[in-house]
Amino acid sequence: MAEESYLTDDFLRQLMNVGEVDILIGLPTHNNVKTVGSVVHTIQSGILRGFPRERAVIINADGGSRDGTPELVTGVSIDDMRASNLHALRTLHSISTKYASSPRPADAFRTILAAAELLRPKACVVMSPESANIEPEWLSKLLRPIFDDGFDLVTPTYRRHKFEGLLITNLLYPMTRALYGLRIREAYSPEFGFSGRLGSQFLGQNAWNDETEGAGVELRFTLAAIAGKYRICQSFLGDKDRVERHAVDLVPALRQTAGALFSALEPDFPVWSVVTGSQPAPTTGSDQEVLLETLRVNRKRLREMFLAGIAELESVFQSILSPSTLAELQRIAHLGEEEFRYPAELWVRTIYEFAASYQKSVISRDHIVQALAPLFRGRMFTFLTENRNASAVGVEKNIEDLCLEFERLKPHLLELWKSRE
Amino acid sequence: MPLNRDVLWYKDATVYQAHVRTFHDSNGDGIGDFQGLEGKLDYLEKLGINAIWLMPFFPSPLRDDGYDIADYNAVHSSYGTLEDFRKFLGAAHDRGIRVIIELVLNHTSDQHPWFQESRSSQDNPRRDWYVWSDTDIRYKGARIIFLDTETSNWAWDPISKSFYWHRFFSHQPDLNYDNPAVREQMWNVMRFWLEMGVDAFRLDAVPYLVEREGTNCENLPETHDVLKELRRKLDEHFPGRMLLAEANQWPADLRPYFGDGDEFHMAFHFPLMPRMFMGLKLEDRKPITEILQQTPEIPPSCQWSLFLRNHDELTLEMVTDMERDYMYDMYAGTKTMRLNLGIRRRLAPLLDNDRRRIELMNGMLMSLPGTPIIYYGDEIGMGDNINLGDRNGVRTPMQWNGGWNGGFSAAAPERLFAPLIEDPVYGYPAVNVLRQKASEHSLLNWMQSIITVRKSTAVFGRGSIEFLYPVNHRILAYVRRLDNEVVLVVNNLSSSAQAVELDLRRYKGNILIEMFGRNIFPRVGDLPYLLTMGPYQFYWFRLRRI
Repeated sequence: MAEESYLTDDFLRQLMNVGEVDILIGLPTHNNVKTVGSVVHTIQSGILRGFPRERAVIINADGGSRDGTPELVTGVSIDDMRASNLHALRTLHSISTKYASSPRPADAFRTILAAAELLRPKACVVMSPESANIEPEWLSKLLRPIFDDGFDLVTPTYRRHKFEGLLITNLLYPMTRALYGLRIREAYSPEFGFSGRLGSQFLGQNAWNDETEGAGVELRFTLAAIAGKYRICQSFLGDKDRVERHAVDLVPALRQTAGALFSALEPDFPVWSVVTGSQPAPTTGSDQEVLLETLRVNRKRLREMFLAGIAELESVFQSILSPSTLAELQRIAHLGEEEFRYPAELWVRTIYEFAASYQKSVISRDHIVQALAPLFRGRMFTFLTENRNASAVGVEKNIEDLCLEFERLKPHLLELWKSRE
Repeated sequence: MPLNRDVLWYKDATVYQAHVRTFHDSNGDGIGDFQGLEGKLDYLEKLGINAIWLMPFFPSPLRDDGYDIADYNAVHSSYGTLEDFRKFLGAAHDRGIRVIIELVLNHTSDQHPWFQESRSSQDNPRRDWYVWSDTDIRYKGARIIFLDTETSNWAWDPISKSFYWHRFFSHQPDLNYDNPAVREQMWNVMRFWLEMGVDAFRLDAVPYLVEREGTNCENLPETHDVLKELRRKLDEHFPGRMLLAEANQWPADLRPYFGDGDEFHMAFHFPLMPRMFMGLKLEDRKPITEILQQTPEIPPSCQWSLFLRNHDELTLEMVTDMERDYMYDMYAGTKTMRLNLGIRRRLAPLLDNDRRRIELMNGMLMSLPGTPIIYYGDEIGMGDNINLGDRNGVRTPMQWNGGWNGGFSAAAPERLFAPLIEDPVYGYPAVNVLRQKASEHSLLNWMQSIITVRKSTAVFGRGSIEFLYPVNHRILAYVRRLDNEVVLVVNNLSSSAQAVELDLRRYKGNILIEMFGRNIFPRVGDLPYLLTMGPYQFYWFRLRRI
């Protein structure tokens, strides 16, 4: 019964009043009052500039904000646009629903997809409520390929500093590319566009109450699109927000990326097991731009956390990693700081063995993901060291080399997978 | 039926706009005339209209369909005589139908004797009746209205070797209202027709009467002074007669034309009309509520005049560029449908001949605040002919039956002033009065019915309006109220069925009586009032506390 009633009657009533739309903008929120007002304003401006004739609605799925976020979202008036000489032909609805008393990204996304299912938009976009860099043009960049060219998923590319998004450049991008055969740079992003049919397919088929509790649902959505052979492209948006990440954020981030990716591998095995090599995704604008300015990173602390992890989690690693991989990790842990290097091949083997162990559930899956954290820090140390003086081209080459390593060693993952049986 | 003696008669009127030339030809010369029009008054009476607005019928070279007048005090010979007009006027009054005629104040034809005298020499006594100049650089701030045909507001007169001012076609020189003799003469023209019994004037192109350097020469205080002077004389000598302004302006700029109830009685609400079409196509009430929110209050004795279509193009002057582009794309797919800043099409073709949309638009026309005007032929869903030049495509002969010349004229078809519509969908064999009279559910009979319902209460003509804003933007809902009479109007602008919840708590305890079928709907309670509506459906409910 709970399955049938996850949309409240009040939300259904609001959807009924909105009716069929051409564009749906999903805005998951939780205590975003500081930023969400300007984000909604920018979204409205993007609609008026790029889609003045289309029927549009902003759907705010709120995870129990206590700071007035939903009221702010629904209160931003389109009439405020007059100052910028923008005039709306149509009514632009902003409606809000509280899907839970605490934030769960998967539930927020599910609510947005359910709204899309009922309102039947041609194109949808999910936007981050805390983006400081959002521009009105982002709407067009994410929606036009769906509207005009029949794509089903538009993922963004950004201008980033070479040391930002290391989880993406060192794990998510190369592994996704190697396994699924498509070069999607940002398979996990808070902003993306998708077609109504893709949303409908995902809503109907996805297991929403699995053990991952919906972590990394955005990534799983991308993977589902690839696996389902939907048409996918990338669109360059511009600067990516500089969000300060604390060390404590790493484990949740790993759950949403590595955890979600690992969990997708079993259902998608028929897809990725037959893929060899990779193909570029159609891309509008640059597929990635790299900023090079100086950025202070505490590399020493990263190595210390790696060493501590190797020492403290040995028994855990024995369950997850092959003896040779663990031995090699223990060997590099004894190297001095100047000599320390976590090479690409070892990193790829580590990840593949984690993925296979995740599948075998050798220990609690969440513990497996948590155990990856110190190793990723060791890999970060090496990436930062290797690219300290690298140019943009040099950084890109190193990432490309890592991707090729993931592709080259894919048979290793397949062997591990078969040994499971 | 005797004429209603109420001096505010125009507030309760339903006006029918017709052209003598296009309505009915009594003498078989291919051109409609006053005797023909008089012969069709029974039809108009049965339709339920109680005022008829006639386009110019004065002697004219007809280079602008009669808006180029060559003699203000006579009838064009093609349409009959002054005596024919008198007879028609009396017959209309006998049926309770008032007659509104055109008065083109701003300009005359260049064939008018006044202009011929004025141009004849620099020292002619009538030289100063028009606006002359040695150069064509004066009044540079004035826009050119007929962009498709004119490049300047000045035209060179080779006879008097100077330039004359014209805001419209170059064959329509503007009169000089700074000259007291001109003002006096135009009052004499008005008095001539008023004494005959004419009930009202539609004053054409009134914003442009006076020119001043450094302005856009529109809506100037001096222009209002001229109009107020005419109104004062009208009230003094002919109380109960009415002036209707044609001023294609934004509502805020139109407001001064009502003055303090001492200038015009009525004015066309030009910006509303395109927004009704826009709202229908967008399936969104926003354009309509937005423009009505911007519409200022007018004096109690004044009234807006509303219309869906008329003899001109569907004007898009009073919309934004984005809105105009949208309207062109939605309603004028081919360039030949466009003229100046507008769309030269009739109501039925604009609405794809969709009966539901035609009814909805007429429903709004009849229930929004103002006096509705029905353009001849739209009551039967006549089509247009975009292959005819200028605006002539919407001025084709009235289609009375499926016989010879559609019953319009006994002349040989090639002698008709304009060809009848003959295409399979809109042609006179398919769309005509006789056929629709015979069909209970025809558009004609439906129009007759809605006019009857509208006339059953004064609330539509005189009541206040309060918009309800249900969250469903496809629904345009409003409450009209006059004293204790309350009418709720709900329009579904959408092509699909809609549910809507209306906040009617202030009317708790009232029952709703649907005004067309007189059926009773549930009593209003504390909860939002739920209505489900079919595509393009509308309801008029009388609220009664019983």
